[in-house]
Amino acid sequence: MEEKLPSAKPKSYREISIRDLSPDELLALSESMKLSLSIEDMIEVQLYYASAMRREPTDVELECIAQTWSEHCKHRIFGARIEHVGSEGEEVIDSLFKTYIKSVTERIMEKKPGFVLGCFVDNAGFIKLDENQAICLKLETHNHPSAIEPYAGANTGLGGVIRDILGAGKGAKPVASCDIFCFGPPDTKSSDINADDVIHPLGIMRGVVRGVRDYGNRMGIPTICGAIQFDSSYVYNPLVFCGTAGTIPISDIDKEMSPGLKVIAVGGRTGRDGLKGATFSSMALDTESHEEDQQAVQIGNPIEEKKAADFVIEARKKNLIEFITDCGAGGFSSAAGEMLSEVGGNLYLERAPLKEPGMTSWEIFLSESQERMVLAVKDESMEALKELSEIYETELTEIGNSDDSGILKVWHDNELVCELDNSRLHDAPTRRLNSSFCVDAVKKYELSEDDLAADLDVVISDFAIGSREPIIREYDHEVQGNTVLKPLAGSMGDAPQDASVVKVDGSDHLMSIGLSLLPEWGKTDPLAMGKATVDECFRSLVASGANPEKIALLDNFCVGNPEDSTELGMLVETCKGIAQGAESYSAPFVSGKDSFYNYFETSDGPVSIPTTCLISGMGVVDCASHVTGASIRKKGSLIVMLGITDSKMGGSVYARIKGLTKCAVPNTDFSKALKGYNAFHSAVTEGLILSAHDVSEGGLGVAIAEMAFSQVGGVTIDLEALPSTGKVGKAERLFSESPSRILIECDPNDLDRLKMVLEGTDFSVVGKVTADDQNLLITSGAEKVLEVEIAMLKEKWKNVLTPYY
Amino acid sequence: MEERTNALLLKYPGTNCDFETARALEAAGFSTKILPIARFTEESLKSIQLVVLSGGFSYGDYVMAGRLAQLETERRVGDALTRFRDSGGYMMGICNGFQILTKLGLLPEGSLIDNVSGRFICKWVRLNRNTDSSPFLKGLPESFELPIAHAEGRFIAPSGLAESYLEDGLAALLYKDDINGSSCQIAGLTDETGRVFGLMPHPERFLLESHHYDPDWKREDDGWGTGYFIFKSIFNEISEGVSNQ
Repeated sequence: MEEKLPSAKPKSYREISIRDLSPDELLALSESMKLSLSIEDMIEVQLYYASAMRREPTDVELECIAQTWSEHCKHRIFGARIEHVGSEGEEVIDSLFKTYIKSVTERIMEKKPGFVLGCFVDNAGFIKLDENQAICLKLETHNHPSAIEPYAGANTGLGGVIRDILGAGKGAKPVASCDIFCFGPPDTKSSDINADDVIHPLGIMRGVVRGVRDYGNRMGIPTICGAIQFDSSYVYNPLVFCGTAGTIPISDIDKEMSPGLKVIAVGGRTGRDGLKGATFSSMALDTESHEEDQQAVQIGNPIEEKKAADFVIEARKKNLIEFITDCGAGGFSSAAGEMLSEVGGNLYLERAPLKEPGMTSWEIFLSESQERMVLAVKDESMEALKELSEIYETELTEIGNSDDSGILKVWHDNELVCELDNSRLHDAPTRRLNSSFCVDAVKKYELSEDDLAADLDVVISDFAIGSREPIIREYDHEVQGNTVLKPLAGSMGDAPQDASVVKVDGSDHLMSIGLSLLPEWGKTDPLAMGKATVDECFRSLVASGANPEKIALLDNFCVGNPEDSTELGMLVETCKGIAQGAESYSAPFVSGKDSFYNYFETSDGPVSIPTTCLISGMGVVDCASHVTGASIRKKGSLIVMLGITDSKMGGSVYARIKGLTKCAVPNTDFSKALKGYNAFHSAVTEGLILSAHDVSEGGLGVAIAEMAFSQVGGVTIDLEALPSTGKVGKAERLFSESPSRILIECDPNDLDRLKMVLEGTDFSVVGKVTADDQNLLITSGAEKVLEVEIAMLKEKWKNVLTPYY
Repeated sequence: MEERTNALLLKYPGTNCDFETARALEAAGFSTKILPIARFTEESLKSIQLVVLSGGFSYGDYVMAGRLAQLETERRVGDALTRFRDSGGYMMGICNGFQILTKLGLLPEGSLIDNVSGRFICKWVRLNRNTDSSPFLKGLPESFELPIAHAEGRFIAPSGLAESYLEDGLAALLYKDDINGSSCQIAGLTDETGRVFGLMPHPERFLLESHHYDPDWKREDDGWGTGYFIFKSIFNEISEGVSNQ
């Protein structure tokens, strides 16, 4: 009996028989193991093992393939062949990604050589800042984890994207973060939530904000910009986008694997937290998710990550890193896959430091425990790296090596538990999908002009508009001491800005970060939404002082059910819109991410989110004097409107408040807009702009109020003076969200020069800053439309969220 | 070779304002070294005139802010910092550094606990200078602004002590308004020697004029923000002392 003990140790892996299974049995296996693989995928796997490998797979291999092929990791819907029926008839789209994102960027890169220094391949997209440094940006979603465990979900969402930056190039330095949320309205009635265990939007909001706060603040990375959308369609499936920007010497962007390197893990230990996160993210949510899938949500430890970050930055500066990536979705399996997929190599699971004993092979290989970085380093660098790990008190473990076999071999206690020929592993079958979308007939409404003062009150007090100050103040947005255009600024320090700008150490150039999402537009016209999000993001960057020639974009999509042809059709139309925008502005996409299956099975059937497209961007501000705030600075200034106002109200806050559905959504005229932005930027470089604010949600009424919240003086605006097309009523002039418009404050002495610079664009002087009072006075020619005390308006605006947060 | 005035910035796991604080010290004239605590020994204090503990979340501040940093410092060097102070050395603690210095007993008795609001607060605040003698605040205006960013900044002390600090000028820096519930609105303290100074606001984040939230904020034409003058003040004090020796 005693002799048998050694072999009594249970095997850490098992073989799974799939050779003789029928397609239905294969699908049943995929479901019972929660692999999220389709029948077609499973048949492909069966074929691979029967013909190429001539054996049965291990559970480690199946789990690994499931992670690699998951929607979360592989973006198979963006790579799918889609038969689309749109307003222009039928067409076949061979990959949304290739057609509307990658090829657009490639054409722009040809036009602007040397600007994009890396896109789509690495963990973030890079653009040139100056001769020596590059900036990079990455945004991720963490929707399902945040729905189930808001604090931990958002916490690790930010932690994960920070690691993306640490793993970008040979280790970029994270310098700023942003966060964008879509929640149900704070005043949602609990009785209106038709499913058990769904967390009320308030619980989601508080948990998510604190999760971001506690990770970002502890990491010492300023959270400098963001946005929140409130809509009842997000009650069951909230969206949480986290983004981080970094800086890196241009010479440290390129990294390459080669045979004979050591593979080391740095940072946190590996545990059972975060098992199968990638496959979990690729399924719809339901009440059971709340009960069963908690294991899929990771636990964050920002100090562990801070130590690893200090280590990585120092190691990169000392030139000790050949290749680096983070352990994100898929854990070691994706990190090792990325590093060893071409050269080949070995990974030894028993060497990985564990949080708990008794973990099986696949659990170690697939765990998504946080705060882990994987590096490939030269043998001779090991001593210096070990010293750094002691100095920064972070654990360093050699877990494998690269060779020249082209095959990834994973060992556990001297047994080969996974052997994958990576050239085949990444070949997931192409999906085929159908989609259709045409904009419904739109309605025309007569808008009441009876009480525009009351309307302004309601709009400024809407959840879409109200100040985000209670949340912004919980984030340290000044750590690192480089935030020069802060999320709240102006002479009182509490007025909203368009984009945020940070200085970059060692450069005269600065980095601006801006974003846009307009899900309300997409409900009626996703093509127009796609166009306008690119326009708004680009415009916010230009308004803050960025050079329009030096702007790059990121696309992040969240969609409900891609198997629903209308939902997929809306995505296709959105993609067309953003592609047109990027191409017109020569603003390349350098990174992006998509998240599907954002719907929830309620007792009344599935509830999908609206097609949501977040466009974020980074822009280069050429010098500090170009940084432009969005708050009025001087009594006596003139207010100039750049861009045309039209009567289309679709997607606007005003239309939603008034219950006007199916309104025509504004179109974006990119060539006119770009002409305006280029002229605006010339005015910035000539020092003719005191402040400037993009006109977006809430229209002119909100934009001018927000500019006036610096409370420098009173403001008068004449609606009749606005550049406009067609018949535009007073309510439309005040609340239309026509794109491409910027409000400018200029010194009257500079007006003649400004007029010369703006010549050929649509602009006019529409108002002035007065010294006599502190009121906002809106007129239409000689007629007074409304007059309100700015302080009163501001008080309302400041207290929209305070009762809830 | 010109003799430089040396500052040593101690970095704990979770310290995150070290870079910009070192930048501010350098700008004021100090030769500055950032030293991770894992390499800190009593030897490290040789030829150092100013020890700085910068902001951050040492060890995550999961127990009382600064507590683990205090224990680790004492485990490594015992009372070396106290002896450093007693032998004429200067010390400055910003935010988390203030919390750590308080825990180490290098500042007047008291504690920094959760803000009354229970929230993290990141904003610019107005401060009043309540001392004429602190070497860290010479030449600073009576009243000025600095940004704060903390969750545990409410200073409390046993009954009557905060009032006495106010009286004898140890409470060197006061919030003009009640920001976080601090007793007597104390924002910064010095010890009785005057050589140790702790403050919750972040002077390193107002090094330059362009750091101010108001683009029209202006002092003079030299481009410096108010925070710079805190570092400059202590640099002048120490370098005069060094050159007089």
